[in-house]
Amino acid sequence: MAKVLMKGNEAIGEAAIRAGCKNYFAYPITPQSEVAEYLAKRLPEEGGVFLQGESEVAVGYMIFGAAGAGERVMTTSSSPGISLMSEALSYIAAAQCPAVFVNIMRGGPGLGGILPSQGDYFQATKGGGHGDYHLLVLAPDGVQEAVEMTMQAFTLAEKYRNPVMIMGDGLIGQMMEPVEFPDDLKTEPTNKDDWATNGMAHRKSKKRNLVKSLFLDPTALNENNLVLKAKYAQMKKEEVQYELVNADTDYQVLITSYGTMSRVCRTAIDMLKEEGIEVAMLRPKTLFPFPEKAVFDASGKESCKAVISIEMSMGQMVEDVERCVKGRKPVEFYGECGGDIPSPEKIIEIIKALL
Amino acid sequence: MTIDFTDIVIVAGNYGSGKTETAINLAAACRKTGRSVAIADLDLVNPYFRTREATIPLEAMGIQVVLPDRQYLFADLPILAPAVADILRQPADVTILDAGGDDVGVTVLASLAAVLKNKPVRMLQVINAFRPFTRDVAGCLKIRKEIEASGKITITGLVSNANLMDATSVEHIYQGYDLVQQVSAHTGLPVEFITATPEIRSQLDLNRITCPVLTIDRHLLPPWKHTGTRPGSHTILNT
Repeated sequence: MAKVLMKGNEAIGEAAIRAGCKNYFAYPITPQSEVAEYLAKRLPEEGGVFLQGESEVAVGYMIFGAAGAGERVMTTSSSPGISLMSEALSYIAAAQCPAVFVNIMRGGPGLGGILPSQGDYFQATKGGGHGDYHLLVLAPDGVQEAVEMTMQAFTLAEKYRNPVMIMGDGLIGQMMEPVEFPDDLKTEPTNKDDWATNGMAHRKSKKRNLVKSLFLDPTALNENNLVLKAKYAQMKKEEVQYELVNADTDYQVLITSYGTMSRVCRTAIDMLKEEGIEVAMLRPKTLFPFPEKAVFDASGKESCKAVISIEMSMGQMVEDVERCVKGRKPVEFYGECGGDIPSPEKIIEIIKALL
Repeated sequence: MTIDFTDIVIVAGNYGSGKTETAINLAAACRKTGRSVAIADLDLVNPYFRTREATIPLEAMGIQVVLPDRQYLFADLPILAPAVADILRQPADVTILDAGGDDVGVTVLASLAAVLKNKPVRMLQVINAFRPFTRDVAGCLKIRKEIEASGKITITGLVSNANLMDATSVEHIYQGYDLVQQVSAHTGLPVEFITATPEIRSQLDLNRITCPVLTIDRHLLPPWKHTGTRPGSHTILNT
């Protein structure tokens, strides 16, 4: 297919269709409502269903229901909406069902504002809902990557039978970029008959499946948590994704940044290079699992004087960066989170102060 | 061939067709002919990348910019500034209304029907042949019908704003032009102008095109492209 010009939100919707997702439930909220608008038009053409829930709480459980039945299912929302879905996320993770959640982040806390933000890093990577669970979290830096990650998210969700979250910010959702769609996802969810409540009619085995998150027996509950723990360990081993920018130089500073903010940092790195100042960036593409070893290694380069995490938050990912640098270089932070995205010039000023 | 518009010009089209960038540059082009120009941001649909983000460069050109009250500038609420009706009652030489996308975006025009009545109005449908729902004639006609029904206003002309942002080539401009020509043949509506960035425009074979070409200087850029003197999109209004 030839290139088309799409908003991030529309592209995420189209990518879900091409991943074979026929079930999309959502509740509108700026700045992600275009996903729902797009899929309301497109899904019926594909024999799919878009249902607008009466609230995000309801949507969370509609997702749980469809996921439990072994269907490919997605929802999209923005920060306050994801908070409302957090209970369902915890249940879905506990019950080991695959589902895709997209958070097009806006400013918070509370109702915040409608402009872009990265203030939900803690929520996505450290919990949000209750209990010992993790989401697998993917963070695209543009419309093309949002398409690729959305399609990948379904495969990952099914591989681990765990909810996967796409973390975009308002700008990723609202901006337009030319995109090309990869081939449709051909795979089907595997082993559905072993766990999904997908009906007995077509099955050979008479074993009935039960999708649940309640384990009153302490041994059974502990065992379920150990199963989850093993999955998260496997994710850390197999699913880490990141990009290194300008890292083959003798860089003096290592930036860690993701999503929209990393695009600004990239421009700043190019501009600094013209002045003869080498700065590298490590851009996590998976926020969980976090590229722990890559951050440790990149910060160890002899020429590197400091590491700085640049985020559209008041300092969230920086805690993971600090953890991974293990004290061998100073770790600094710069962030803004009202919706005004720092300019390349601002980043340059911050970097120069570290030299 | 130059664009010679007067009175009221409404810029409409499907969501993401480039109405705002077209409206801003149209305002600048009209202003350069020495006419007084006003532009009103009627986009009640889109939360980002709105006319209001180009206020400073527009005002520097002597263009009057009509916006919602300052406290609502960053809201996603359907607020129509009373100043819009005022500017229509006492229009500039050229008064440009930048409507929101799709049928939903032009609903607001119906509420201005009384003020617009009996006034000379040019109603433009902006088409980008590389957007999902306007890649063929049928798609463009469907959008036209929906906009007319919802805005209670008739489209009088077509604009091709064919682009893939930075990935646009001369060939894309021709493809977009050919599409609006076909829409024109189906509807009898004139192609009022097409758009191109200065770099692309310089490569166009103007003998192939029988309408004016509006030069597009992109104002609504993502923050990583705002280098040099131009402030970031959202910082413009906070200063």
